[in-house]
Amino acid sequence: MLNIKNLKVKVDNKQILNGLDLDVNAGEVHAIMGPNGSGKSTLSHVLAGRDGYEVTDGQVLLDDQNLLELLPEERAHLGVFLAMQYPVELPGVNNMMFLRESINAVHRARGEEELDTVEFLKLVRKKAALLQLDEKLLKRNVNAGFSGGEKKRNEILQMAMLEPRLAILDETDSGLDIDALRIIAQGVNTLRRPDRAIILVTHYPRLLEYIEPDLVHVLVNGRIARTGDKRLALELEKKGYGWIAEENAA
Amino acid sequence: MISRQQRQQEQREWFMQVLDQDDLLIKDNTHWLRQYRKDARQAVNSLPLLNRKQEAWRYDHIEKLFENNFVQPDESTGGFTNVELYDNLLPPLTSYRLVFINGYYAVSLSNLEELHDGITVCSIGDAIHLMPEKLAYSFIYGHKLHKDKFSALNDAMFNDGVFINIDQGVHLDHPVEIVYLNTNHATSEDDRENLIQTRNIIFLHEGSSVQVIENFVSDQSENNKYFHSNVTEIYLDEGSKLEHYRFQDESRQAYHLSMLYVTQKKNSHYHSASLALGGAWARTEYKVNFEEEQSECDLYGLYAVGDEQLIDFHLDVQHRQPLCRSREQFKGILYGKGTAVFDGRILVDKHAQKSDAVLTNDNLLLVNDAEVNTKPQLEIYADDVKCSHGTTVGRLDKEHLFYLRSRGIAESEARKMLCQGFAEDIMMNIRNEELRLYMVDSLTRTLNAHNVSSGDNYGH
Repeated sequence: MLNIKNLKVKVDNKQILNGLDLDVNAGEVHAIMGPNGSGKSTLSHVLAGRDGYEVTDGQVLLDDQNLLELLPEERAHLGVFLAMQYPVELPGVNNMMFLRESINAVHRARGEEELDTVEFLKLVRKKAALLQLDEKLLKRNVNAGFSGGEKKRNEILQMAMLEPRLAILDETDSGLDIDALRIIAQGVNTLRRPDRAIILVTHYPRLLEYIEPDLVHVLVNGRIARTGDKRLALELEKKGYGWIAEENAA
Repeated sequence: MISRQQRQQEQREWFMQVLDQDDLLIKDNTHWLRQYRKDARQAVNSLPLLNRKQEAWRYDHIEKLFENNFVQPDESTGGFTNVELYDNLLPPLTSYRLVFINGYYAVSLSNLEELHDGITVCSIGDAIHLMPEKLAYSFIYGHKLHKDKFSALNDAMFNDGVFINIDQGVHLDHPVEIVYLNTNHATSEDDRENLIQTRNIIFLHEGSSVQVIENFVSDQSENNKYFHSNVTEIYLDEGSKLEHYRFQDESRQAYHLSMLYVTQKKNSHYHSASLALGGAWARTEYKVNFEEEQSECDLYGLYAVGDEQLIDFHLDVQHRQPLCRSREQFKGILYGKGTAVFDGRILVDKHAQKSDAVLTNDNLLLVNDAEVNTKPQLEIYADDVKCSHGTTVGRLDKEHLFYLRSRGIAESEARKMLCQGFAEDIMMNIRNEELRLYMVDSLTRTLNAHNVSSGDNYGH
């Protein structure tokens, strides 16, 4: 479903991704781990279409469509969703209105019916309950005054609303306490589908105790240095990343 | 190149030319008004000419105004009844409505039915004829307004306006809505440049309250060029409260000057929010004077400036007594090659201990070649006060745009949402839901019409 071939990306003229290859099939959950600076966030951002990244080589296909030539909103219409590591606050933009604009924009682009007010409210309440997100937060401005955990839950709420084909969770676990992590992991687990791929980008193996990945990849110096099953994550927990980097250099 | 002397001569002649047109609607049938107008005429002649070396006129390109020969429209314009022309220009409100066409009171378009006891709402013309004693306070004992050339000119020449008098302890159930519709369609020749001068007096007695809405609208035809000078005097007696909303969406050829003089007694509250969208040149001056303790004023404003426009807000808030509180928050969206001017002055007199004042001005630049002149001034002579100010000029945040776009929202729509978001904390101070929605829509319509969504000059 997602096929990344020989992806090379520069940021500020510095090579960050260095010929990355990755294939993710529908229904699978892949974890991408790696030390700081290995290129994890760059990969997430390039997939979502954020500015400031120069793709110098390679190819990214989602269902055989070239993602790299699409605008961020067009990628969202195709079903790409990035849960941000640092969700921004949007001053004066009401969360509920934003969710509605978002879901209807995606529906319109796909030629589907827009949700009317009643349908929308029903859906948003259902999904918010799933993530134990206080309805008061829906009435506030987007992420304004939200705690770290609330921001992350708000991200997963958007994911639940938009029903993406490919979800990328960029360090969604960072800054969360164990209870918040559990709620979010539960939410993500209910969103696993045979027709959906999920990429978990994380620094810590802890998240993978709650969301069990099909494959674990270790990113070092902008390439996948090692791929394994969930036992690889356990090994990383014990031994850190150093040994892979050394093996890779050897 | 026109020399400074020529400019000054042009301006001198402009004021003389205006003063010569003294065939006014309101006949000076009371001796005090005659005297008042006479004094004002003298003041117009003797007050110094305006120029850009004066701080108050530094950024205003005032000389452009004097290049035009504005002429008072004839009285028949008040009989204008083309309701369709203005109907879609107004918010759908339940209100007591007074409509002025080119400054003339249009009785047939107004609605003042069912006003209950203790409330006087009428045109100034009617008030001068029917209850001159009620106006005498303002004209004789009140502030002599003719302190600068334009307010003196208004004193000498105003056509008509609104008189609102709310008796002690009375609260009005619906807002009073004043509509100024300025249009060439109402005059015989449709290319004349109208001179419109209106004057309002709002008097709230002890413990009373009312909401007043002013709508400055006009047809947007190419040749609808005019100068509208509007003076509003507001007296708030002890414990009274005025909510005052102003909406300005005039022709892109129009010159607009509003001067507001607010006098506040103990425990009174003036709450105001303005939205300025139109005009070639539009200036609003607020002069607020706390005459007694514990009074409060909130001034909120939003301006959106496009190509060839200049929009200016001048504030002069005088904390002259202790324990008063003021909030001044103005925001601007610059979406074209235009100019915004914000000059916010707060004076805290040495007697005005425990004053509390916060002044902010934030500007959002959507294009590269717009100009913002922002000047907050706090002059503080007391030592136990809580006062602060801040101004910013910024662009749309790239991260905010990306966030919205990554959720499927097209860039144009995302930009619009962020502009609306920027305006939101001004709009939320409009405590009239129908009006607030109308103002939000009007802002969106203005931004849409001028293709704000297609710009690509956001921040880095």
